[in-house]
Amino acid sequence: MMPRLGAAGFTLVAFVLPLLTARPRALVLTDVVGLLLATIGLITLWRWAATAAACLLLVSYAVALWLAARPPSAVGPTIFGLALLGLLQSIELGRTLRRATIEASVVRSQLLGWTGFAMGVVAGVMLLAAAARGVAAIIPLTVAPFLAAAGALGVLATVAAMLRRSHEA
Amino acid sequence: MTWRPTPLVTTLLTVVAWAVCLAVLTARAELLFVALPLTTAMLTLSRRAAVPEYSVSLDVSAARVFEGETVTVTMSVQAASTVPLLVVRGPLPADTDLVSGRHRAAASLARGEVASWRYEIRCAARGAHDFGPVIVQVRDRWGLRAREGRHVAARPVHVYPRVAPLRSLPRPAHTQTSIGDYVSPALGEGIEPGDIREFAPGDRIRQVNWRASLRLGALHVTQRRRERNADVVLMVDTLAAVGPRHETTLDLGARAAASLATAYLARKDRVGLINYGGTIDWVKPGSGRVQYERVADTLLKATVVFTYVTKDLAFVPPRVLPSHAIVVAVTSLLDPRFAKAALDLAARGFDVVVLVVSPVAVTRAMLRDSPLNALACRLWALERRGVLDAFRRHGLTVCEWNPSEPLERALAGVERRGLRAVAG
Repeated sequence: MMPRLGAAGFTLVAFVLPLLTARPRALVLTDVVGLLLATIGLITLWRWAATAAACLLLVSYAVALWLAARPPSAVGPTIFGLALLGLLQSIELGRTLRRATIEASVVRSQLLGWTGFAMGVVAGVMLLAAAARGVAAIIPLTVAPFLAAAGALGVLATVAAMLRRSHEA
Repeated sequence: MTWRPTPLVTTLLTVVAWAVCLAVLTARAELLFVALPLTTAMLTLSRRAAVPEYSVSLDVSAARVFEGETVTVTMSVQAASTVPLLVVRGPLPADTDLVSGRHRAAASLARGEVASWRYEIRCAARGAHDFGPVIVQVRDRWGLRAREGRHVAARPVHVYPRVAPLRSLPRPAHTQTSIGDYVSPALGEGIEPGDIREFAPGDRIRQVNWRASLRLGALHVTQRRRERNADVVLMVDTLAAVGPRHETTLDLGARAAASLATAYLARKDRVGLINYGGTIDWVKPGSGRVQYERVADTLLKATVVFTYVTKDLAFVPPRVLPSHAIVVAVTSLLDPRFAKAALDLAARGFDVVVLVVSPVAVTRAMLRDSPLNALACRLWALERRGVLDAFRRHGLTVCEWNPSEPLERALAGVERRGLRAVAG
């Protein structure tokens, strides 16, 4: 029950955020389909339904951002990302704990771990955004694409190293 | 047992890739921030995970139970290191039902912490069940990797057929030499008075019948009948069975055989068992509590093994099928090979009693109520009555047991023609 409740909460956040950003009819339709898929995932704990719901809600959010054409913000998308992560993790946890006696320690540990992680990520993003704002003022416009490419390369290298270590472990 | 990434990793990678694609398509850099928490969570995979240390113990309340009884299973896990999420799956063998509690449990354990769970299982069917391995899955805090292990060696639990108390039992035609409960025609030591004869040197004073001596004018002694036991061989038909799961004619036959074995052993008889079917198993006759366990253990294994081969009872050793033994054949008479085997035994001079577990009643209970089914069952019952009459004509004692009624009632109606006293 606990994972399903958590997943419901995260679904609600991921459903509401795109609607708060923009509200055209097509967007609402995509969002509702995403919500329906998430509900199916909640009830049946099917992994594919949760993944499809996350992808649809993401489409909805992307379209909302595109239509809204507001200045870039980091905290809103991070919260949306956290909601998607929470939804997917809760469904996976629900699958793992299906028909099991769940000790209170599991609920406590998951809640504490997740709250700590969410707060850490949001705080980190806020710091990063503040730092980026400062750095953006001094970087010349012509260097920016090269820096972005180097950043992307760095991300790829990190992911590769991560996968390699995971495989070795 | 190694750490393996869970399917959640694939899911997160899919969503991250999708977020990056959408960020490029819509030219909105914020979508990269959507992927950030998911990527951060996945970064934990780059850390080498410590091997969790814990010990698992399993306790089953009983190793031997009767059908329908419950056993309590207690699982305990003691953590020697911190375990973020531990999912334990206890044993739930086939043919058992969960009565209370759950056989799956989850806990987060700190170092030195102990978690314990208890659940109750009803053993519905006879058999030897393995309450062995406990499967433990350990997951990291994010559910991104897991490792699974099997713990605890096999714990067999034997579920014996239900035993019905029996007072009326088919009396054997012949007795053996050991002391038992049957009054033998042979004279000797015993309780039951048999005959009176004149006093002879060597007779004891307490054997003198003073009333007869006074009347006849000479010393007379009372002779007593010996009390002897018998050899009983239970022959269970495992050639064919019909009926719903756990209530087939073979299951019912096994219960009848277990009840008969208990009752005969209580009368100090020697009881043996032959499972006659695709394979022949036997237990040579013996007495006492240990013998009951031998018989019950063999009944656990009684199952229908299909074969075209007709097994010949001539191959059964004489010590398993002693002469002068009463053979109680427990059968549904679905396979004519068993009927032939019973007739062969009767022809070899064995005292054969056939206890027929009615397959008609068992099948009727499975079918829905319709005139056609009722007619078919009536015709089948009629046909079977002809078979049973043929058995009686061959001199076999036959009793038919309708499983909806107590076994005692079927056995109480057994009439053994030409059997007044048990021969010594």
